Amino acid sequence: MLRIDLHPTHKQGDFRLRVGKPLPFGATIVPGGVNFSIYSHAATSCELVLFHKHEPNPYAVIPFLNEFRIGNVYTMVVFDLDYEDIEYGFRLDGPFNPREGHRFDKTRIIMDPYAKAIGGRDVWGAAPNWEDQYQHRARIIFDDFDWENDHPLETSMEDMVIYETHVRGFTKHPSSGVKHPGTFAGIREKISYLKELGINCIELMPVHEFDEFENSRVSPATGKLLMNYWGYSNVGFFAPKAGFAATGKFGMQVDELKTLVKEMHRNGIEVILDVVFNHTAEGNENGPYISYRGIDNKTYYLLTPDGYYFNFSGCGNTLNCNNPIVRNMILDCLRYWAADYHIDGFRFDLATILGRDQNGAPMNSPPLLETLAFDPVLGKVKLIAEAWDAGGLYQVGSFPAWGRWAEWNGKFRDDVRKFLKGEPGALGGMAQRLQGSPDLYSWEGRGACASINFITAHDGFTLYDLVSYNWKHNEANGENNNDGGNDNYSWNCGCEGDTNDPGIRKLRVKQMKNAAAMLLVSQGTPMILAGDEIGNTQWGNNNAYCQDNEISWIDWSLFDKNRELFNFFKHMVALRLAHPVFRNRTHFQNRDYMGSGYADISWHGTKAWYVDWSMESRMLAFMLCGSHAKGGSCRDNTVYVAMNMHWEMRGFELPKLPHGLVWHVAVNTDAEPPHDIWPAGEEKRLGNQEEFLVGPRSVVVLIAREIVGKRSRKEKH
Amino acid sequence: MEIKVVNRDGVTLVALLGNLDGNTAPEVQEKLEPLVEAKCCLILDLIKCGYVSSAGLRVLLMLAKHLTAQEGRLALIGVCPEIKDVMEMTGFINFFELHDTIEEVLKTK
Repeated sequence: MLRIDLHPTHKQGDFRLRVGKPLPFGATIVPGGVNFSIYSHAATSCELVLFHKHEPNPYAVIPFLNEFRIGNVYTMVVFDLDYEDIEYGFRLDGPFNPREGHRFDKTRIIMDPYAKAIGGRDVWGAAPNWEDQYQHRARIIFDDFDWENDHPLETSMEDMVIYETHVRGFTKHPSSGVKHPGTFAGIREKISYLKELGINCIELMPVHEFDEFENSRVSPATGKLLMNYWGYSNVGFFAPKAGFAATGKFGMQVDELKTLVKEMHRNGIEVILDVVFNHTAEGNENGPYISYRGIDNKTYYLLTPDGYYFNFSGCGNTLNCNNPIVRNMILDCLRYWAADYHIDGFRFDLATILGRDQNGAPMNSPPLLETLAFDPVLGKVKLIAEAWDAGGLYQVGSFPAWGRWAEWNGKFRDDVRKFLKGEPGALGGMAQRLQGSPDLYSWEGRGACASINFITAHDGFTLYDLVSYNWKHNEANGENNNDGGNDNYSWNCGCEGDTNDPGIRKLRVKQMKNAAAMLLVSQGTPMILAGDEIGNTQWGNNNAYCQDNEISWIDWSLFDKNRELFNFFKHMVALRLAHPVFRNRTHFQNRDYMGSGYADISWHGTKAWYVDWSMESRMLAFMLCGSHAKGGSCRDNTVYVAMNMHWEMRGFELPKLPHGLVWHVAVNTDAEPPHDIWPAGEEKRLGNQEEFLVGPRSVVVLIAREIVGKRSRKEKH
Repeated sequence: MEIKVVNRDGVTLVALLGNLDGNTAPEVQEKLEPLVEAKCCLILDLIKCGYVSSAGLRVLLMLAKHLTAQEGRLALIGVCPEIKDVMEMTGFINFFELHDTIEEVLKTK
């Protein structure tokens, strides 16, 4: 049907115009033209600035007439634009009075905060024209995409195995063997690898447009260029990073990322985005004008009473998340990614900032977090908080959740690391972590899946480095090794860094297997750092945020070298997914509510039914009753896990099974491959059903199976 | 953009000469949509087409969909490796039938 209001009413120079629609914000293709809409509370006037793609100077400046302002929104339709060839910006006039919070500068060209695509850094690392007055250039996109029958997968939290990676680092290394290294298209080529590993969710480190040249500098230590490689510094929240797309040079990054998501879904893999709403790339008062500062500084940023920027993010400024305008922008943004990109979930960087009020104080019921928890469009997406910030607010276990929010569980990481390296007094913490941290998450019925369990993540040591370095080695970052965390709870197994000592190398492989086993038998949602499954190293660098080189890139040649480790990870993931006893949504009740004769979880040590919880004890075993799998809603095998983190072998007395069931070995990290892990259904029947000798620093998983013809399948081979 | 249309034995062959982008896509759509008929085979020769933009890919996809909805076919020939690569990375290739020659198109009928 034709509309009667889609004809121009005004003319300025060659341009035909009419008043636009205030919502949605941004640039929207409408019949005959483009609807531009931008909010500013304190601006006194606004101009639309149009460029031909890549041109340094604008070809048109069109002022918004007074009748094109609705409330605090400047909006107009410009007809007859070749929107594929356009980059647009705004110039806003208004007060410059930093003490009052205003920093308007009508000479600057400002990017649309709702830009759906952003030019200026089209190809990763290509030197920009620093003379260009408009560095990050808003573009107009076709928002149509043929998703066919694609739909977000809505995998239950308890059934997920997350795999965290960096878009560029995943395939940039020459060994990756992909056609377009370091891109969304490159990840697509690795889908069969991800499927073999068995993970069912990929979590991408920031993919929103950022400037890899922000704070770029030459490392005094190595002479190499340091870049904003991780990208935790948004230029725009609605645009995918063009430099992550092989087609970024053609402006087709939107289609390339959507195609990746669609292909992932087709293969049963969810896509979670790491989103950074705590600050922007504009830095503090000395930073550049990109967008927000020039539109309405006071709206977008938390400011001190003197008009300086609060720095709870550690990155110069703090987004004013609980201002209603910013809150709506964040909501619009997440809805857009969920609806238009079919994104399955979001992990919020430094999420406690989202719960600070406009003065920076933590709130009891932060409206933004509540809004996200109850939003209808976001009703099924995963919401995961990094529950701390650089301002010292640590909310692991107490993040406002409304039954929706999960958390990166930093205590899981620390407690498992302590236990893994054999620290004294680590049993109590470990027992909590294995159960999905009920000490942190049993309140308000948050359940085990409020806990995202991880031992390693992008921030910190890789798994290989965790067992190969006692200390961080961040010299290449050019900050005299002062950056990066010092509480790593790592142990080098006897030699700092790479070594040819076969004993140390063997122990490291075993420790990596132990870590994988502990992660994947724990209740909660496990997250694996990409590359850990093949022993990827950053040579002890635990803060590789600026290293766009071999330090950060996954070395795929390790796949052949460490096939044993990959195989272990793969079967460990399969073991978890084959057994619902590992995947309870709710916490254990420590009792038998199914009448099976066994509690849902029972604790053991070198003696069955008894644990030595003393400081010097490093042995812990537990049994998960199969009748209580998923809260008793399904039946599974009973499973027994023994962990000996002592440096000597220990005999573990096994709990007796009901008549007709016998223990089978599924995992024994002390054994040589292929006997370190047995594929599902092929577990080896145990000769001695009374006791298991668990090797030094080893993990054992036993599965109770029925006696089939007195011999298990494997024994027949 | 020059658009050459030739009819041969119930097959419509269209050669696109020039870039298929935001500028030319509306014209291509306008000229080619009327050629869409039930069960017809439309062959687009892109050998003289150096670049297909996002808008261009959308016009091609629209044509392909309109044709398949009427049990027709859209076949692309002469697609250079660069354009093919872009189609691959953006997923559009899954909707298109690509061939080297007209004869090959007719053979796979």
